Amino acid sequence: MTRFVENSIVFPYKRSLGPVIGAFMTGLTEQRILGIRSGDQVIVPPLEWDPQTGAELDPDGMVEVGPAGTVESWTWVPAPSEQHPLGHPFAFAFIRLDGASTPLLHAVDTGAPDALRVGARVAPRWRGSRVGHIGDIIAFVPGEQPEVDGPDSGPAEAPVTMMDYNASITYRNPVPPVLDRLREASRDQRIIGQRCPVCERVYSGGRGYCPIDAVELGEEQDVDLPHTGTITNFTIVTPVQYPGQTETEPFARVFVLLDGTDVILPYQPVVELPVGEVRVGKRVAAAWAPPNDDIDDAGAMGGAYGHLIGWIPSGEPDVEDPDLVNRIF
Amino acid sequence: MVATNGPRTDIAVVGWAQTPMVRRTDLSETQLLLRVITAALEPLGLTRADIDFTCLGSCDYITGQAFSFVSNLDAIGAWPPKRDSHVEMDGAWALYEAWLRLQEGDIEIAVVTGSGRSSTGDPTLIYPMEMDPFYLAPLGADPLTFAALQARALIQAGITDERAMAEVAARSRRDARSNPDAQVKGDADIDTLLAGEYVRAPLRRHDLPPITDGAAAMVLATGDRARKLRERPAFITGFDHRTECHNPGYRDLTDSPSTRIAAEAAGLGTSPVEVAELQAAFTHEEILLRRVLDLGGEVAVNRSGGALASNPIMATGLARIGYAANHVFGGGKRALAHSTSGPCLQQNLVCILEEDA
Repeated sequence: MTRFVENSIVFPYKRSLGPVIGAFMTGLTEQRILGIRSGDQVIVPPLEWDPQTGAELDPDGMVEVGPAGTVESWTWVPAPSEQHPLGHPFAFAFIRLDGASTPLLHAVDTGAPDALRVGARVAPRWRGSRVGHIGDIIAFVPGEQPEVDGPDSGPAEAPVTMMDYNASITYRNPVPPVLDRLREASRDQRIIGQRCPVCERVYSGGRGYCPIDAVELGEEQDVDLPHTGTITNFTIVTPVQYPGQTETEPFARVFVLLDGTDVILPYQPVVELPVGEVRVGKRVAAAWAPPNDDIDDAGAMGGAYGHLIGWIPSGEPDVEDPDLVNRIF
Repeated sequence: MVATNGPRTDIAVVGWAQTPMVRRTDLSETQLLLRVITAALEPLGLTRADIDFTCLGSCDYITGQAFSFVSNLDAIGAWPPKRDSHVEMDGAWALYEAWLRLQEGDIEIAVVTGSGRSSTGDPTLIYPMEMDPFYLAPLGADPLTFAALQARALIQAGITDERAMAEVAARSRRDARSNPDAQVKGDADIDTLLAGEYVRAPLRRHDLPPITDGAAAMVLATGDRARKLRERPAFITGFDHRTECHNPGYRDLTDSPSTRIAAEAAGLGTSPVEVAELQAAFTHEEILLRRVLDLGGEVAVNRSGGALASNPIMATGLARIGYAANHVFGGGKRALAHSTSGPCLQQNLVCILEEDA
């Protein structure tokens, strides 16, 4: 049975809005919806250029539309996603606001789909506290009259120039069987590699195929690798405190060429090797966690080597080879 | 009048392969590509050493890894180093780039791929991140929503109705029965389909594509080399793609001018096609595309079952070109393949394949 692992990636984007979208977002905090003139058209939501011709549009040509409008097309969302604006069933609709030439996509909150039809009249339900975001309109609701949800905290004190966008996607990936074999062997303090049957190169790192010959490598190609190697290259990372970064002090990541293999192990952690003593040519040996420890995915190779937690100085003399530093693959 | 976009060098599809199309594969994207590239090359007696140029189509957001195409390069045997390119588009656009590259005349063989494991994430959460970041992405505007809004616009305009859409689904499933690679196939009763619940009104389950993991690889060769590699190469005699603006709110959703212009530029109007493979992931899209391309009842549309039978995102369009090439390999004269990208058929590609260069 193939094992699957889940991991979530957060995408925290911060975007500048520019003169036109910024004015639109500022307008939302004032409970006003703005479009932009392009000839005799009023484009909503507004852009800095005409979407058909690419002609630059004049930010001074922004005009208020709505607040009410007419549904031009709609669909019903019976099971909203975590990214949708409402947590209960709702409609998405193209709404042509009064005075606009193009429709705005937004949610319509009617409770049930039978209250919707093409031609229905709707008006915005504003969030009480508005920040200059398309979500300042919670949804549109049937009728001509806008509503405000909760106490009204008023417009933004300064023009809105930036916007945050946060999404999180959970990915579910199969774990290549070779990685599970590597992990299991690490309990017995063994390092498994694979030998390509075509070119006979020995690969560390559990890739599962030979990229030179483009052939898959199975269990029959597994070989035991030595526990000693040489640092070929390294970097000292001064951690930036981005989301998910747990390190606070500068730390080393080294590239290790195991003896008798043809590819390096990249981005390895070191043990009992101060940052100032990391150098190309330094000889290292595998450092193991106690056999009974529970190993999470924080070890060497993102946990692929399980109980192999990093590389410790072996005490052997340095390797003097000017080409060694070039080994980054 | 749009100038017809024909090649300066004779270039043909000489072979292609696809992985089994499944809801969830145990294989990584790189493994899918390793196998499918080998499967495309072997029947032609070629190896990776014979490839002069590769272009891979895939999507980092679907894979969940920045520069995910870098590990896909392990599938092409890039040693000694090869000429390679990548498009963050369906493999049909990778094919377009390879077709352009072969026109330089200095190389003979190119391999293109399209690959995606849609099961890796939830497509309805990934897709909004690729939309307009100010007005659409923050609403979680997902592919089913956009498709449903376009379907209603077409129904409202009298261009189609829910029964006609169900008939497209039933025909696709019926045709897919003879396609061993199809994921959704079988006999379906129209009234039974229409009794189903809406997933996104007016779309029901049968109006939607399946979620599919899969990859395709295609081999292109120039003139004489193509004729040596196989009988009846499928010569690409016209190839064009056009885009419209992004936000569907700014477009007339009852038309697809980019498809019409691309087809004209690819030379569709110069003589009839016998078959057409359209990347219509939703039933109403096939109805709109047939209308825009002016395909009459004599043209066999999506005999493979189409994207409604299997929809490996990033490879669906390339597979359309593969099925159209199969028509020529098998004795046909002229076939059309179509691919699309973006919400509500934003960008459209048309490829014409013929028995004669």
